[in-house]
Formats: sequence, C-alpha cells, structure tokens
Amino acid sequence: MKTYLLNRILGSFLVLISVLVINFLVVNLAPGNPVIFMGGETGLVSKEYMDYMMKKWGLDKPVHERLLLYMYNVLQGDLGISYRYLEPVSKLILERIPTTLMITVPSIILGFIIGTLLATISANRAGSILDSFLSTFAMVFHSVPLFWLGIVLINVFSVNLKLVPATGMVSAQLMGKTGSFEYYLDIVKHAILPITTLTLGVFPAYFRLTKSVVMDQLTEDYVLTLQAMGLPKFKILYKHVLRNALLPAITLLGLQLGFAFAGAAIIENVFAWPGIGGLMLNAISARDYPLIMGIFLFVTTMVIVANILVDIVYSYLDPRIRRG
Amino acid sequence: MGKTVTRVTKVVQTQVLMNGTRRVGRIISSLLNAINYLVRDKSGLFGLTIVVATGVIALTIHMWPLPNPDAMDYTPFLSPGGEHLFGTDRYGRDVLSRVLWGARVSISVGLAAAFSASLIGTIIGMIAGTYGGLVDTVVSRIIEIFMMIPTFFLALLIAVIMRPNVYNLIFVVAVTSWPTVARVIRAQVLSLKERLYVEVSQAFGASKRFIMVKHIMPAIVPLTLSYTVLLVSNAMLLEAGLSYLGLGDPNYPSWGRMIYEGQQLIFRAYWISLFPGLFLTINVLGWNFLGDALTRYLNPRRRAY
Repeated sequence: MKTYLLNRILGSFLVLISVLVINFLVVNLAPGNPVIFMGGETGLVSKEYMDYMMKKWGLDKPVHERLLLYMYNVLQGDLGISYRYLEPVSKLILERIPTTLMITVPSIILGFIIGTLLATISANRAGSILDSFLSTFAMVFHSVPLFWLGIVLINVFSVNLKLVPATGMVSAQLMGKTGSFEYYLDIVKHAILPITTLTLGVFPAYFRLTKSVVMDQLTEDYVLTLQAMGLPKFKILYKHVLRNALLPAITLLGLQLGFAFAGAAIIENVFAWPGIGGLMLNAISARDYPLIMGIFLFVTTMVIVANILVDIVYSYLDPRIRRG
Repeated sequence: MGKTVTRVTKVVQTQVLMNGTRRVGRIISSLLNAINYLVRDKSGLFGLTIVVATGVIALTIHMWPLPNPDAMDYTPFLSPGGEHLFGTDRYGRDVLSRVLWGARVSISVGLAAAFSASLIGTIIGMIAGTYGGLVDTVVSRIIEIFMMIPTFFLALLIAVIMRPNVYNLIFVVAVTSWPTVARVIRAQVLSLKERLYVEVSQAFGASKRFIMVKHIMPAIVPLTLSYTVLLVSNAMLLEAGLSYLGLGDPNYPSWGRMIYEGQQLIFRAYWISLFPGLFLTINVLGWNFLGDALTRYLNPRRRAY
C-alpha cells in the first residue's frame, strides 16, 4: 500500500510541475511580448507596476531563467498581482474559493449519490422501460450545456413559478446581517438553483460508469452463489454488488472535480454567484493573465490534492491494494 | 424500416462483393453493416436521424426561404410566432434563421475539432502502443498528466491568449481533447499486439512499421471512428462553453455565441437564448447517442444490454 501511494504522490508531483511549465510556456510562447502580456495590453497600468513586474518575473532575462524564477515564486505561494484588481492573485482566489465550494461540494456529493443509486436501479432491470427512461434521462443531462440549463431553470422556477430567487447570494435587504438565521436561510434559498444545475450536470458520469460496472458485476459467480444461498435480491444488490461497483465511482470522484469546477465557474456567471467564476470572467475580459494563470494553477492543485485523498481512501477500501 | 434497410444492405453487399475490388467491397459492406445495426438500435436511429437532419440543414441552409440571419430590422424583441417563428433578437434579426445558420458553424467547428483530435490521438496512441519502450513511457506520462488537468481551464487559458476566431477555437479544442483518444487507442493496440496473427507476422520477420500499417491500423479505424463521433459532442460543448464566456468568434455566430448574446436578456426575451440552446442540446444528444450505439456495435459484449 505504501509503495502504491508513494507512486501516486510522485505522479501527482509530476503533474503539478508540468502544469507550471504549461502555464509558463503558453504565456511565453504566445505571439507577442511577454512583458506586454504580463503587464496588460490596455496601457492603463502604471510605470511602477510595469517595473515591478519586470523585476519580479525577470522579464528581461532569458527564458529558462524566467521559468525557474516563475516556479520559485509559485512555490512560495506568490502567484503575482492581478492588474485588473491590483491585488495579489492568491488573495483574490482564496477569498472567492469558499463560495465556489459551497455549490461545488454539495453538487458532487448529491450527484454521486443520485448517479450511483439510479444506476443500480437501472442495471438491475436492464432492458426495461424504467431502465431506458433513466438512461435517456442521464444522457440528456450528459448532453446539455450547463449554462443553458441554468438559464432555463431560472426562467421556469424564478421567473414563472417564483419559487426561488434567480441570482445573487443574499437578498439586498439582508445584506450585512451576518449571523442571523434569516441570513443563512436566504443563502440556502439562493443556492438551490445553482446546486440543482450542477448536480444535474455531474450525476450522469456516475450513472454511466456505475451502470456498466453493476451490470458486469451481476454476471459474476458470487452473485449466483448468493442467489443460491437464498439471499433476497435487494440485499445482494445493495450490500454486495453496489459495494464493489462503488470503487470505480470513487476514483471518478477525484477525476471529475476538474469538470465540476469548470461547470461551477460557468454557471456562477448565470446565477451571479460571487465565486471564482465571476473572477474568471473579469480576468478574461480584461486579459488579466496573472489571474487566469493563477486560477488554472489553483484549480489543478485542488484536483491533484483531491485525487491523492481519493487514492488514500481507495487504497484503504480495496483490500487488494491494502494488503498488496 | 429496419427490414427494408437489411434487404437493401444484402443486395448492395452482394453487388459490391461481386463486381467491386475486394478492399472497396469490404469497406462498403462493413459500413452497411454498421448502418444496418444503427437503424435497428432505438437510440442509434435517434442519433443518426438528428445528425443527418442537422447535416442536411447545414449543407442546404443557403437555399432556404429564410430572412438573412444578419439582416437587422426595426422590430426587435418580437415574441415567437407569426412572421418570425422563433421571434427576433435585440437587433430585430430573425432567431429561427440565425439558429439554422448556426448549425453550419457549430457542426463544422465540432467536426473539424473532433477529426483533428482523433487524428492526433490515434497517431500518437498507435505509435506509443506499437513501439513501446521509451516512446510509450513518455506518451503514457503525458496522457496521465492530461487526465488530471482540468481541460476546460487549460482551453480557457489558451483561448484567452490566442485571439478568438474559429480556427483558434478548433485548435484549442483539438489540443485539449486528443489524449482521451490516444489512451483508448494505445490500450487497444497493446491488446492487438498479443493476437496470434500479429505474432505470426512478427515471426515471419515483419518490421514494426509494417505491422503497424498492415495489421494494427485497419483494426483501429472503427474504434477511432466511434470515438470521433463521441468527440464531436464534446467539442460542440467545449466550443459553446468558451463562446459563452465571450471567447467565441463574433463573426461566425455559433449556438454557444447566441446563448451568450441572449443571456443578459433572459428576463426580457427568453427565446433569444432558449432556441439555440435547444438545438445545441438536441445535437449533442444526437452525437452522443450515435457514438454510444457505435461503441455497442463494435463491442458485441455490450450489445445485449
């Protein structure tokens, strides 16, 4: 188990280094002057800022020295300064990330539960009307662009039915009243639509994977043995088959985090949810490269860390690795 | 429908096999077999219908009696119905016409990106699988890295730095999605290499290149095709996502770009973003169903399900 984990962590480290290199290369190999890239094209940035950037990123030095300097800076937690906000990139990202996690984490958990449960139901009755209904249902949400789904949900549930607020995180009249019960209830109400959208976008992956695994598992000998022993179908399915089928889904949990973050970043703009998505959109429209690079790096790091955690859980759950 | 197709298939197959050269005959006959399977498979038929219908629209749209998609009128924000079936947008342009013209942009971007991605992926995967050794180690590492990296954010970074236009979008989508194909193809090549006929060929002294071109490539093509189909839907979604964030090509309105233009107006004129989104979703769904059905066709173990 130790060598397995060590191997995985080493691999993750390699991924991190390559992301740093990719990040650096994309900006430095792009046509145009990296000084202009890093300093903004708008010409609105002050001379002091340009000088600071020149020195900080060594923009007058050769490429390989710049790469090392960039890595050195990043490893110290210094992602540079955003010229749109004129604040450190790491501070900007860290401020916004909790709000993004507020919709990402519940969606992934809900998507995992809904996806695997529906998949088990579907696989158990493969070929039935229920199965084709559920599979089509999953396929539709596998295909729908999440931002558009968000727009449709706003139209139906906020504009027409007036059940939940459409955009923002807190209503105007409750702004600043942190700590009160109404304040948190209001946040929950605002979070319902974004979380629903993201859950619908995340669950099909678990559904598709788990369904095929459960169907493979159902043909295994141990299922036949359990049936012969007279165990009820329900127990075989949920106590034995699903347990085995969950292992690949758990791996997907880590791999899908990047997708979930991307989805969150996009739909935050639909719902005006004040997380990392709005930051990203502003960075794009202002061509704020340090900020865009920072977000890419930060999200990748989170995905890598999550994958290591998943590996630890996995190696604990899978006896073949635990004892091997 | 299924029966007619089967009958036609049989007739054409015998004709081709009798009169054509053997290779052409084989290709046409296996294509017909695939189509024969697809029209009998419910979701396959659905996917095929959507893909063909949209393809026909995209190819013939300039002949349709529709208003010019860029023609502005003094009647903005007309609700759907009447003269403008899908309403008009904020410049008074006909939404129906724009959506149907958008098929051309979205389909071509999706197809071009998917083809380039699977071409790159197949070549790299095939070389890594056939030659093994150091090449394989390096390629596998690169694929592993790409599997971890959140591709959407990478695509975003590249798209921001390159100017937004259709060709750059295709490039971005292709560059970020080839590793999935390379991974599958490499695995397939590794299993093909174990087959008896490859071993026999090796024993006769065939070179690795000969084996790759003569034995492995023909066996890989169907798999590549089914992955290309699945990649089209991916590419369309990725393009839409980038367009939605304002990174699309303003000169070629794709469906993603139209949703982007309509989203600030959802409270005033929902139809501007509703219809392009609907067409995008249905098309992605069609390609996904088609791709899944093809995968089932190629992997008979899955067919029974």
